[in-house]
Amino acid sequence: MNDLPKQKETNLSFEKIKKDILHPMQNHKGLELWIVFLITVISVCGWAYYIQLKDGLGVTGMRDYVSWGLYIANFVFFVAVSLVGMLISSILGLLRIDWITPISRIAEIIAVAFVAVAGLVIVLDMGRPDRVLNVMIHGRFQSPILWDVTVITTYLTVSALLLILPMIPDLAICKKELTKASPIMKKLYNILSLGYINTPEQHKHLHKMIRTLMVLIVPIGLAIHTVTSWLFAATLRNGWDTTIFGPYFVAGAFVAGSAALIIAMYFFRVNYKLQDYITDLQFDKMGKLLVAVCLVYLYFNLNEFLVPGYKMKTGDDIHLKELFYGNWAIMFWASQLLGNIIPIILLVNKKFRKPLPIMIISLFVLAGAWFKRYVIVIPTMLHPHLPIQNVPENFVHYYPSAIEISVTVLSFALVLLIITVLSKIFPVVPIVETAESKGIEVKIDA
Amino acid sequence: MKNTIKNIAALFLIFIFSGSLANAQGWTVPNSAKKKQNPYEATSKNVSTGKKIYNLHCKSCHGDPTMANMLPLAPVAPTDLGAQNFLVQSDGEIYYKVNKGQGAMPTFEKTISDEDKWMVIAFLRSFDKNKKVKQQVAEVKNPEVTDVKLELNVNEADKTLLAKLSGITKKGKRVGLQGIEMSFLVKRSFGYLDVSGEDPYTNEKGDVAVQFPADLPGDREGQVNMIVKVTDDAFYGKLEEARVVTLGVPTDPVNPLDERAMWGTRANAPIWIIVTFVGGVLAIWSVIFLVLFQMIKLPKLAKSKD
Ligand code: HEC
Repeated sequence: MNDLPKQKETNLSFEKIKKDILHPMQNHKGLELWIVFLITVISVCGWAYYIQLKDGLGVTGMRDYVSWGLYIANFVFFVAVSLVGMLISSILGLLRIDWITPISRIAEIIAVAFVAVAGLVIVLDMGRPDRVLNVMIHGRFQSPILWDVTVITTYLTVSALLLILPMIPDLAICKKELTKASPIMKKLYNILSLGYINTPEQHKHLHKMIRTLMVLIVPIGLAIHTVTSWLFAATLRNGWDTTIFGPYFVAGAFVAGSAALIIAMYFFRVNYKLQDYITDLQFDKMGKLLVAVCLVYLYFNLNEFLVPGYKMKTGDDIHLKELFYGNWAIMFWASQLLGNIIPIILLVNKKFRKPLPIMIISLFVLAGAWFKRYVIVIPTMLHPHLPIQNVPENFVHYYPSAIEISVTVLSFALVLLIITVLSKIFPVVPIVETAESKGIEVKIDA
Repeated sequence: MKNTIKNIAALFLIFIFSGSLANAQGWTVPNSAKKKQNPYEATSKNVSTGKKIYNLHCKSCHGDPTMANMLPLAPVAPTDLGAQNFLVQSDGEIYYKVNKGQGAMPTFEKTISDEDKWMVIAFLRSFDKNKKVKQQVAEVKNPEVTDVKLELNVNEADKTLLAKLSGITKKGKRVGLQGIEMSFLVKRSFGYLDVSGEDPYTNEKGDVAVQFPADLPGDREGQVNMIVKVTDDAFYGKLEEARVVTLGVPTDPVNPLDERAMWGTRANAPIWIIVTFVGGVLAIWSVIFLVLFQMIKLPKLAKSKD
């Protein structure tokens, strides 16, 4: 810091970093258009939700047997993706792995957006959303539903803090540099930056707090996905009644989250022109990480299906045969092959870990992860222990209705909107951390 | 000659006809099985036991004998088992069919004991016009009576129930009615428990005594709801007597929701789960608030530099 001769040169680089990262936030025509598009989608699909609210859940495809449908499958998927925040910024961050520096904020933004909307999806799945608080008021301590609501709100809070706290130095820069920002935004930067001017005391204090939260979010992150799996595993139903559901869901979440992060990295790199920050190295490393978590997930799948498939005990057999070569076979095998096994085979090859190919592969992994959740939730609901008898025809099958699909599209659009807005008002690549990791001196004016 | 041809033709027709009938019904009963006889006598007791078993296992499909109110099953509807053209079959034939079943007719080989099957057959035989004589021999004859009354006496000391069935004869004299089956039923959570015992038939005085089980739980005071009735309404119409008796073992009812358990209400959650949940939430959120509180210090640390 006292190294005077070097200062001029590094100052310049710091200026460049600032400019590179802050510039796209304010000068990006397509971004506004994209936001308008998302808001349009949300409004149109919001009308579908209005119909559901008005006429009740009868407008969905859900009936007495399949009472958890598309919404819950989607909820599980969103919760899964949000786990990437804990994987990247906490676990790898605590291990002091340096290549995550430029992508940790994107991971955190994904986590916040997905977990926030996951909570909302549950409310969208309620016939009487006005009664949502009853879960808290009358919730039973014995019920995984209460635990789930609790861990999701907690995870959302801590993820939001882990997004904002490490951003404080950058916000102090935004306060100074983004002169064109609206008064509201300036005020926001001012408040959130908490008078940070990068004194050694402030630096030390801030990072102590961040590290505390990083440690804290590990058990919460494990809990959020484990408890979500317990919503299923705490029942006696075929396909859900297994002991490995907790770690199985956590492993699956790492897969979905990593894929989502790679896709987001690619779009920010291209649209925000961040090639110098989100480099091929990050994609290569993320590719290796994706292979690792996919292998773990594959191992769990092997246990989850091979062991009961070997025994084929009564009840399980109907369920498993439906998955292996029955009505669900295409979805089941597609999610296993396209969403896991083939990506592993491709990604061990260095060529496929380049930005574009790995982004495309990640799209398959992510879609596979979504369908995997669908296959976990619905077939089991269709095979209750007591035979389905004397019920109307539409109780026996489940096809999501147009309303349900629209509301699900709404939830996706909302996630994208949150990510877009957050990346418009906050720098997506940490400015100060990037500079520090490159040994460039950081200077923030009061 | 003409006659012989006629006869042969008639025999031939009968042969074909019976053959096609047998095919439509599709029952082939071996000759040895046809020869079996009902080893049980057609006493009124056996007939009424048979009726009970019939009502339990067969009525749902076959309906009431002679009433032809069977379930309209396709392709072959259940036979009216009281119809004369069915009862021409031998006991052994019926027994064989009940054992083997066919199509929608279930097999009762394992599900009903042999004795019970013969009782049902005895019951069905009671509709057989050709066997009426035999049945009448077995039946106890009561005089024609009016104003039939069922009285119930409860002896709480030795836990016995004494029922008396009587009616007034034409001569105006009240007499006991003999050989009538009674049912002694105790109300339980789901339906009635039959405590009638082996031989709940009225004696020549019209009396029947039943020993109440010593170990049957009642409510806190040992009370149970009882119904005593003439089993078969066919004799004197519906006759029954309902009574609350204090013969049960006094029992404090256990409500599984009263204990602390996973299935309990929130107030009855197991302590460990409350402690774990509340403790976990408090621990995590106090760290969160601690961090938030510490953040307030950040602006001050900027000033301390000056
Ligand atoms: C699930 C309905 C069902 C029940 C219960 C049932 N049956 Fe049947 N039963 C049938 C049907 C249908 C047939 C006609 C089968 C055929 O001829 O192919 C039949 C035929 C018979 C026959 C042969 C009738 C004939 O024409 O020769 C006898 C005897 C018989 N049942 C006795 C009984 C007895 C005794 C019971 C009770 C212990 C009983 N069934 C219970 C449906 C039932």
